[in-house]
Amino acid sequence: MKKLFFTFLIAGTGLLFLNFTTPSEDKLAKVTSDNAIEIPDNVQSILDNSCYGCHNSDSKNQKGRDKLSFDKLNDIKTYKAIGKLTDIADVVAEGEMPPKKFLKNYPDRALSAEDKETLKNWATEAANNLAGK
Amino acid sequence: MSRIIWLVILGIVVLLQFIPSVRPDNVQNNHYDLVVNNNVPDSVVNLLKTSCYDCHSNISEYPWYSYVAPVSWLVARDVRLGKEELNFSNWESLDRMKKAKLLDDIVEEVSDGGMPLQIYPLMHPEAKLKKSDRQMIVDWAESYAESLFE
Repeated sequence: MKKLFFTFLIAGTGLLFLNFTTPSEDKLAKVTSDNAIEIPDNVQSILDNSCYGCHNSDSKNQKGRDKLSFDKLNDIKTYKAIGKLTDIADVVAEGEMPPKKFLKNYPDRALSAEDKETLKNWATEAANNLAGK
Repeated sequence: MSRIIWLVILGIVVLLQFIPSVRPDNVQNNHYDLVVNNNVPDSVVNLLKTSCYDCHSNISEYPWYSYVAPVSWLVARDVRLGKEELNFSNWESLDRMKKAKLLDDIVEEVSDGGMPLQIYPLMHPEAKLKKSDRQMIVDWAESYAESLFE
């Protein structure tokens, strides 16, 4: 009787583990199949302040949304993500974004020289990581 | 009176010819060329060669008017800037990141109609891309770009 109990206990624990491993393995597979671009907090706060308003998938600004949606960076093809990231680095460094017209009304959304540097370095590094360098 | 004006214009045009234009030189034997090193479908190769290679390769075909100022300056500028952005003749010397970025640019420029520049098909009607041509280039660029990461 005791033996039977232990067999059930072991089988039960085993099943429990199986239950836990199946979904988490799925999750792992998903993480490795997307771009897994990490956005550190300091970068995120710059994006939130100066970019995200137009560049997210729910944005009312269709042009901004079509060009780049930060919340979709990990869902697009790897080559596209590299294209977007290098564009971010270029556009920010050259001061093309945020648009001057927008900054006229919202001067507090402007990027400081330090913000630009942070964004550029982040985007370049993320692109390099994706390209496997 | 009008004859004098024409003579002055003619004189100016003649003088313009003495201002050198820096037309990028062609290079033969491009071992790093995109189509030499990759399995690009013939139909796409034809489109790239007729519609893109004049400004985006080392084998630009310079028509006679590209030797006459002031048109020569415009041609020289377009070819110089075009090659700076993308030179198919140097393709294999680029790393994977640069290739991915350029293929993404090709997809966007060709599908939005940003490329070829509007002025180009005016003088090269055969370079005008139909909608189906654009789709063919975009499809090729997308699948090639994806294959870089498989």
